[in-house]
Amino acid sequence: MRALPWLYLAAGFLFIYLPVGVLVLFSFQEGTLPVPPFEGPSLRWYAGVLSDDDLTAALLNSVLVALGQGAVAVTLGFLAAYGLARHVVPGTVFLRALLIAPLTVSYLIVGLGLLIVVQRAGLGLSLWTAGIGHVVINLPICFAIIYASMGAQQQTAERAARDLGAGEIDVIRLVTVPMLAPAILAAYFLSVTLSWDEFIIAFLLTRFDVTLPVEIWSMLRSGLSPRLNAIGSVVFLVSVTAVVAAELLIFRRRR
Amino acid sequence: MTTATARLLGTTLLTLAAGAAAAQEELNALVWCDHTDPKLIEPFEEEHDVTVNLREYEGTGAALALLEQSRPGDWDVLVIDGIDVFRAVEAGILAPLPEDELPEADFFPEVVMKENNSADGVTYAVTEKFGYNTISYNAEAVDPADMQDLSTVWSEKYAGRLTIYDYYLPVMGLAALSAGIDTAAIGETDLDAIGTVMSEMRGAAASVGGVVASQTALATGEVDIVVGGGEWLTAVLAEEQPELTWTIPDQGAVRWSQSIGVLADSEKPDLALEFVKYIVSPEGQARLATSSCFWGMPANAKAGEHLTDAQKEVLRWDEQDAYLANSQLYPAPDTDLDIAMQDLWLETLQQ
Amino acid sequence: MSNRRDSLKGWGFAAPALLWTTAFFVVPFVVMAAMSLATLDGRTLIWGLHADNYLELAEKRYLWRAVLVSLEITATVTVLSVVLAYPLAWIIAFRVPARWQRLALLLAILPFWTSYVVRSYAWLLVLAREGVVNQTLMTLGIIAEPVTLANTRIATVTGFVHFFVMLLTLTIYANLVQLSPNYRRAAMDLGANAFQTFRHVILPLTLPGIATGAFLTFVLCIGDYITPQILGGNTELTVPQVIMVQLGRRADFPLASALAIVLMGLVTLAYLGAARWLRIDRL
Repeated sequence: MRALPWLYLAAGFLFIYLPVGVLVLFSFQEGTLPVPPFEGPSLRWYAGVLSDDDLTAALLNSVLVALGQGAVAVTLGFLAAYGLARHVVPGTVFLRALLIAPLTVSYLIVGLGLLIVVQRAGLGLSLWTAGIGHVVINLPICFAIIYASMGAQQQTAERAARDLGAGEIDVIRLVTVPMLAPAILAAYFLSVTLSWDEFIIAFLLTRFDVTLPVEIWSMLRSGLSPRLNAIGSVVFLVSVTAVVAAELLIFRRRR
Repeated sequence: MTTATARLLGTTLLTLAAGAAAAQEELNALVWCDHTDPKLIEPFEEEHDVTVNLREYEGTGAALALLEQSRPGDWDVLVIDGIDVFRAVEAGILAPLPEDELPEADFFPEVVMKENNSADGVTYAVTEKFGYNTISYNAEAVDPADMQDLSTVWSEKYAGRLTIYDYYLPVMGLAALSAGIDTAAIGETDLDAIGTVMSEMRGAAASVGGVVASQTALATGEVDIVVGGGEWLTAVLAEEQPELTWTIPDQGAVRWSQSIGVLADSEKPDLALEFVKYIVSPEGQARLATSSCFWGMPANAKAGEHLTDAQKEVLRWDEQDAYLANSQLYPAPDTDLDIAMQDLWLETLQQ
Repeated sequence: MSNRRDSLKGWGFAAPALLWTTAFFVVPFVVMAAMSLATLDGRTLIWGLHADNYLELAEKRYLWRAVLVSLEITATVTVLSVVLAYPLAWIIAFRVPARWQRLALLLAILPFWTSYVVRSYAWLLVLAREGVVNQTLMTLGIIAEPVTLANTRIATVTGFVHFFVMLLTLTIYANLVQLSPNYRRAAMDLGANAFQTFRHVILPLTLPGIATGAFLTFVLCIGDYITPQILGGNTELTVPQVIMVQLGRRADFPLASALAIVLMGLVTLAYLGAARWLRIDRL
């Protein structure tokens, strides 16, 4: 009975890692089908993936879009959080609700709406339109995280700086941002992560230059092979490394 | 600005300029997935020093929808089902092609299909590949004799063992054939009969899927029969799994053909035409016939000179006469009937 | 500092974000709502106040069935995910030693970082007739022949639950660790056993957190296209799949928009249902 929690934990982890395990295992498959029996191991699929130009281009696009839209989302979110938290604005409840609203709308709807507007306006689809869509979904998250972190502590420090004669911009630059750095970084990190793996908005709003999830999707549509396992494993490895690095470099410091 | 910075800035600007000048010309093509094989595209790209951008679609409706949502000049080349060329011509999408520059004299006569590819004596598209939507199956798991009769294929005996290829036109064509209705003669009144057959099919089906989903299901043993499959589905898998094969049942099968054309709004009509000519040339045809997504018979018979005997075997090169005789073209409904058929398809899928 | 100036400054700072949200979220949403009231004549779009699309939705079986299918799947997934994730979060929060908690949590959500598309595909492999699950069940003698699991609703639900268990473990854990241990101590001091403590103290306190997580699950699940498309076998379609069919095969934007509005409506209903516990702006 005492072991029950541990059994449950083990079962839980087994369930969580099952697809990842199978994915990685069959990325080393010798034959052309990623199903049992396992033949191998072979690195041919990894070689194929790393030399696939479309994939590497898509990977680069994903990184660019993720980092770019994250920066925009965090900046806009921070400014809005600061404006609403540090100043008395009539209708602030409504404004906050407006900024949070996109969180409750499915990504498909956000993408569809933007697609309709872009087409009606006669504009083209590109990584930029996808990036805009990503900012729309990440801005509320950045705003919420940073707004929630703006507490009395910062206010006191800001007032002190003000008393010492600093202008508002300087206060933001030298006091607010540094004090909120963990929240800002967490928001940035979360936005980048969400954008990196986002499919439907990128799918609807790009044309030839696509992001990685969209490229993987077309790989799925045009050829069954352990190549997909290989790219999945590569993405996993890269992401895990980034997460571990972020954990060690950024979040540890908070302790 | 220090000299070092100035130099750096200067070199960067020069590199960017050089890069821009050397930026390759691009050709945008809307295609079925078999055109994305690098071994088909790369020779053309190298010879003309261009980049070919490819966007795949599954189903004419999807292609036409995409074209509608694009701006003029976005696309240069279109690959489209032979039976749907008239739709594209009606919509004014395709540009006329110079007949004398196309090697149609070398084609298999039955697939030149002038009636489909031209209007008012003007050629708008040329056939590039053909094959059959029929029954693919695992010879080790089912009785091949049963596969010769469409009604046995989706009978109780094989319930849960088949998947339906997710394209309404050929599959409903097969349903029509099994009900004794010619595909060219399908009308509103036939929809009931076709709907009944579709329900039977659906009752026996484990899933519905596109090109890759059907291949996966058959290859991994999830299902043993693909309704609407054909050489295009199994040829790719034939090497590793020779038990996966196909046949044309007694009631007949549906013949698919792909045509290729140049878009009227294209800003690079000459390059687009070169691409079309490459695709219908014997070498291009041989590569297209055996490209990675799905195989199919090349329209140009001369492609046979560039195919190996093993490849011809898989394509059943020598049996084509019999097949051509026992197959009918895709249904070609008008807009209203088309919507009705699509609705019927979705209705029967969702039982 | 006068109030006027103060609020103007506030507006100033918040303006970029507000403009962005208005231009790229509100406007497209309004246009889409208008589009849902438009109609198609052949290939020409006619704006106006046509109820055609909504009527079509009520009439055509495959359309309203999609709504039911979406609701059924989403409800199942939400309940299952919460029920499975809560104990997991609990164990990590209260049974795992403090210094290992962060690691345990990180390990629990690490698979988040495989690509979502690839992860769904991986479940297809796991649930295949020749896949791991069937092989194991046969080796253990539980079944004699492989069971068809892939390309079914079971596969879709499994794929979803896998994702949301990870998500909910994270959110519920965050909730649990915020609880002051004094509550538990007080309950224990008053003589409650573990179960009573849970039922009367912990559960009510964490209900808002659970409600938020469940709501998030609901929204994400009902609007997802990939998982049902890859795992569901396409023999029954969800609302996102039907929307994509309208877009892809017919360019029927009005109908697609109407379906999207209906999807929004379902999410709003869920929000109203959970509103008692939800504090979205304090996520």
